[in-house]
Parts: sequence; structure tokens; C-alpha cells
Amino acid sequence: MSPEHYRSLRRQTTLRLSLTYLTPIVLLAIYFMFQYDAVVSESERLHLKAMAESQANTLDLFLSERQVNLSNVIDDPTFPTQPTSADLARNLEGLRRISNAFVDIGFFDSSGVQVTYAGPFESLERRDYSSEEWYSTLREHTASFVITDIYLGFRQRPHFTIAVSRVTQQGLIVLRATLDPQKIYQYLSSLEGSGEVVAYIVNLNGTCQLAADVIAKPLDTCSFVPPRTPRQGSIRATVKGSSAIYGYSWLHTVDWSLIVRKPPQHHQSFFSSTNLRVLGIATIMVIVGFIVIVNRSRKRVELQRDSDISRVQLGHAAKLASVGELAAGIAHEINNPLASINEEAGLMKDLMDPAFGTPVEPHELVHYLDSIQESVFRCRDITRKLLGFVRKTDIELKEQDIHKLIDEVVDGLLGHEMVVSNIEVTRDYGEDVPKLVTDGNQLEQVLLNILNNALDAMEDEPGKIAIVTRRTDDKVRINLSDTGKGMNREQLEHIFVPFYTTKEVGKGTGLGLSVSYGIVRDLGGEIEVQSSPGQGSTFTLVLPIHHETPIAEN
Amino acid sequence: MSDKIKLLIVDDEVKFLESIAKRLEMRDFDVTKATNGQDALEIAGRDRFDLVLLDLKMPGLNGKQVLEILKKEHKFLEVIILTGHGSLDSAVECTRLGAFDYLPKPYELESLLEKLQKAYQVRLQKKFEVDQERLEKIGKLATGHSALSILRELRKLDNEEK
Repeated sequence: MSPEHYRSLRRQTTLRLSLTYLTPIVLLAIYFMFQYDAVVSESERLHLKAMAESQANTLDLFLSERQVNLSNVIDDPTFPTQPTSADLARNLEGLRRISNAFVDIGFFDSSGVQVTYAGPFESLERRDYSSEEWYSTLREHTASFVITDIYLGFRQRPHFTIAVSRVTQQGLIVLRATLDPQKIYQYLSSLEGSGEVVAYIVNLNGTCQLAADVIAKPLDTCSFVPPRTPRQGSIRATVKGSSAIYGYSWLHTVDWSLIVRKPPQHHQSFFSSTNLRVLGIATIMVIVGFIVIVNRSRKRVELQRDSDISRVQLGHAAKLASVGELAAGIAHEINNPLASINEEAGLMKDLMDPAFGTPVEPHELVHYLDSIQESVFRCRDITRKLLGFVRKTDIELKEQDIHKLIDEVVDGLLGHEMVVSNIEVTRDYGEDVPKLVTDGNQLEQVLLNILNNALDAMEDEPGKIAIVTRRTDDKVRINLSDTGKGMNREQLEHIFVPFYTTKEVGKGTGLGLSVSYGIVRDLGGEIEVQSSPGQGSTFTLVLPIHHETPIAEN
Repeated sequence: MSDKIKLLIVDDEVKFLESIAKRLEMRDFDVTKATNGQDALEIAGRDRFDLVLLDLKMPGLNGKQVLEILKKEHKFLEVIILTGHGSLDSAVECTRLGAFDYLPKPYELESLLEKLQKAYQVRLQKKFEVDQERLEKIGKLATGHSALSILRELRKLDNEEK
């Protein structure tokens, strides 16, 4: 067998073992990673939702408190109907003690003009706000307070306001406070658990109200706007190419939604650290498994090669043994022409010997010399045949005409032996018997073994050997029957056992049939035997028409 | 009747048969050839031979079968077995069946001549012993028997000689 054969055998074995043992590991790892990811996503979702809800509640509470602070000022019976800037400054100071988010406050009369102002933007005093939306809301009594979205306003800085109103005899009076969004955001950021998330607030239009600098600036349009219903929830959304889970909760006091999400750098979707760990372990397992498999395949193929080699060696030894059994017949074949040569040479000597009368002329000897040469060639043909049979060692599967093979053995190797032993060979070849893909040389050896045995079974008595070939389905049956002495039950049970022989000591090696059995089995067929004492024996070779190269397991 | 040793050679190898026959003729043997067992038996039945050189492996009747028949039918015939087979068993079996000796092919002519010589001596010896016995019998018969009965006994003995 060629090294290429073993290389491909090793590749096949490695591939087969890899598929068997490594695929489950890979599938399990992938399944685990996806499953783990799903669990993580779900828990993250719940966590973010809860976080958004709690922060929204806190913010609601904060805004309500600020509104109540302001309402307390305007509803205070001691609050003057026409407060001075000093009055408001005092009130502002009181408010800022409660919360530093308050920036300024202003007092508006019923015409919507800010009559009094306390705070850093004094230029705002006497400005008319009657056309502002928040003012209209209060004037039309649809609400007793208003919290605005963040806007730039006259002062050109992001801010939002809380305005509360009260109806007096002079008409509607309004107290409005401006709050610094940054302060509120700082407050939100100081809450427990807010460190692990990014929080920001958008209004109904998706305008960003409050946010960390990494996300957006106030008044930017926010890329993610949560749905109105349900009022709390969590959603996976893809923003600017990166997918993330957003938790949100709409506020009660104002139409803002508080949104939380994991900081971008913490969110690497599939390849989280746990997944990487699983992937790492799986990779190591696969590599270790693969090394083991490669190693095992190599050993397995080495074993296979060793067993092939020893089988070839045994096969060769057995072939020599069957040739040894043949040697007696061959000796006869060679000794006969040698005897002829001997006599002819002797005769020529005699003819040239004056003791026997007048010596002959050289040309009269040509006839004998030709005859000697003929005998020499006969010997050469016999040795050639024999060597040709022994030399062939490689197993090669080729299309073979089995009838030709049988003829070669019967007429070629055993032809003379059959004639001088008075064995009549009849051949009945089935016409539909196709050519076989098999090893011709090995099959010849099997036929030789069986026919040698048949000859021995005749014990020098005249007899018959009948060879019948037939096709049955995808097999070919070769029947070899002899009229020899046959075998009893005990002999039949042992004929395929190595070194078992029914022949006299020194005549048989006991290897012929056991080796034939091995050969036929390797060629994908079987040998059947029928025999009873005195009735002769019939050996049947059953061979497949197509035989694949046997790849032995183990 | 010549004084040459009458020899029948039986072998299916024609070239061998021709050459050995010629060589033995040159050495003053009276040689008859047969290429198979049936012919050999027929020839031996027609003529009286001293010695037979018989090949063991032949198509048709083989040497062993021919030997058995020859020894049964011809009391004083000595047979030397020739064999290309060289197997000791078959040769030993032939000596048990009555062959004088055997010779594996190819052989040296001298050893063949030696064996032929010995075989012929044995044949002569046997014949001599039988003749001796016969003479004694005739001597015994001569006393107290009629001339006619003596003649009858002599004829009987003569028939046994074959």
C-alpha cells in the first residue's frame, strides 16, 4: 500500500473523529453563549426598567416639591400683592435654601408682564410674557401650575421654569421660578445606582432636556424617543449603528421621559467577557481534543499499516508455502526435460564414441541439439511461471476475467500435473459471469491452493475436477468439485484453522486454506465447503462483482 | 532367440524414450518402446521380456497400475521404476508392490546399467531356482508314474513359467 493511501486514511480518520467528538463541544459552546446572552439581556432589561422608574419617581417628587415650594410662597397670606424686588430676593433666598436648583424668581401681573424680578438676569424685568405658552395655560385656568420644557428664552441659556398662579381681586398673579437643569442633573446623578447607567431626559418631541455630555447637549434632538405607552418599559434599539437596551419611564408632573442605558463602553453585545470566557474554554477543549484525535488517528493508521505489512508478509510466506506444496509437481515437470537432455547429450557422446563404430558427422547431431534446446526452454518456461507467481506481492484490484484466471492455473501451473495424474478437468463457465474487480494474483493463489488439495485428495488415482462458474445477483460463485477421498466432519470443522493439515507429515503446511480464507475475505467474498468421506469435496468461492478497498476498522 | 536382454521401456516423454532406447540398443539390449501403460501391457502380453523400465507418472494407466498388472501376469519380469517426481514415498510403495528398484530422473547411465544388470541377475537366479525345482519335481514324477502322466505334469509346469 502506498504512503498516499495511509495519508488519506489518516485524514479520513481525523475528520471522522473530529466530527464525532468536537462538533458537540462547539455546538454546546455556541448554544451556551446565545442562551447566556439572552438571560443577560433579559435581566438587563428588567434592571434598566426598574432604574428608569425609580429615577423618574424621584424626579417627579423633586419637581413636585419645587412646585410646592413655589406655591407656598404665592399662597402665603403675607405675600404682598405688589412685591418689591427686595421681597422677591428674600423669597428667592428662602427657596435656594431649600434647593440650589432655583436660579431666579419673577412676579407677573395680570397683563403678563414681569413686574418684579429677583436673580442674575435683571434685564428681564418689565418684559412681556403674555404671549408665552406657559402663561396662556395659567391664564386660561387649565392648570394651577406649569412646568415648562427646557428652552433658551430671552436669556439665551437652557433653563426651564415652574410657574404657579393665584387669582386675587386684582386678577391673576403669577410667580415663576427658573431652575438650572444642570443642578437637577447633578441631583439625579447623585442617586444610588446611577453610576452604572447613563440617564437623560427627553420631552414629547424628542428634544433632549437633561443629559450627560457624552450623550447629548440639552435641546439637541434625541436619537431615541420612547413610546408613550406603556409609560414604563425597556426596549432594545439601534442608535447610530450600536444596539443597546434602553429603560424609560414617563414622568407624571411633566411630559418628560427619563431614559437610562448602560454606558456604551460596557455594552459589547455578543462578545461579553463571559462569552469570551466560554469561547476560550471551548477553543482550548477543541484544540486539546483535536491534538488527541490527530494523535489517535496517527496511532490507529500506524497499527493498520503494521497489520497490513505483517499480513502481506504472512501472505507471502503462505504463498511460498503453497508453492512448496506445488514444488513436488514442478520437480516432476522440470526433471522430465532434464532427463531428456541428459539422454540426448549421452546419446551424442555415444554417437561420437569410436567404441560404438564409425563416429557420426557433426551435422547429424543437429537434430539432438535442437531437441536439447527445446527441453531447456521448457524448463525455463516452468521456472518463469513459478517465479512470476511468487514475485507478485502488491495487492492490486483490477478488472479480471476469472475464466482466464482459472485457465491459467489449471492449464498453466497445473496443466501437466493434471494430465500425468489422470485428472479430467471439466469446465462449465456461465456466460453471464462478468469480469470481477479483484486481485487476480491472490485469487490465482486461492485457486492453486484448492486445486492442489483436490489433486492430493485423489491420491494418485484417476479422478475428475469440475469447475463451474455462475452469477447470482451481484456475486459470482466458483464451484470446484473433486472426486477425491473427501473429508469427515471433524476435518471439515478445522480446515480453515492455520497449520491444520490432513496430509502426511512433511507434505502440507496447513496454511493453504487458512490463507485462502483470509484472502477471499479481504476480497469481500467467502469460501463454502461441502464434503463427506468417499464422496469428494466441493469448494465454492463466492466473490462480489465489485469490491471496494477494504478499510479495516481498529 | 537371441541372447540379448529383452527390455521394455515405458515413458510418455517421447524424446527421452527415443534417446534412452537408442543408447541401450548401442549397449546390446533388445529394446521395445511404449509411450503409455495400455500399450505396454499389450506388448508385454504378446512378447516375453526380461526387464521393464517404467515411468511412474503417465496419462492413462499410471506406472503403479501397470506395475501391479505386470507383476501379476509375468512371474519373472523385473521392473525398475523411473520417476521424475523424486518422491520417496511413491518409489518405496512401488518396491513393496514388487518393483526391483527405482531411479529418479535424470540419472547417470552407469547407475541405470548397474541396476539393469542386477535386476537381470535376480531374474536369472529366480528362473534358475524355479527350473531347479521343476527338475526335482520331474525327477520325482519319473518314479512310479506312467509316461503319459509325466508328460501332462511337464506341460503344467511349463505353463506356470510365464
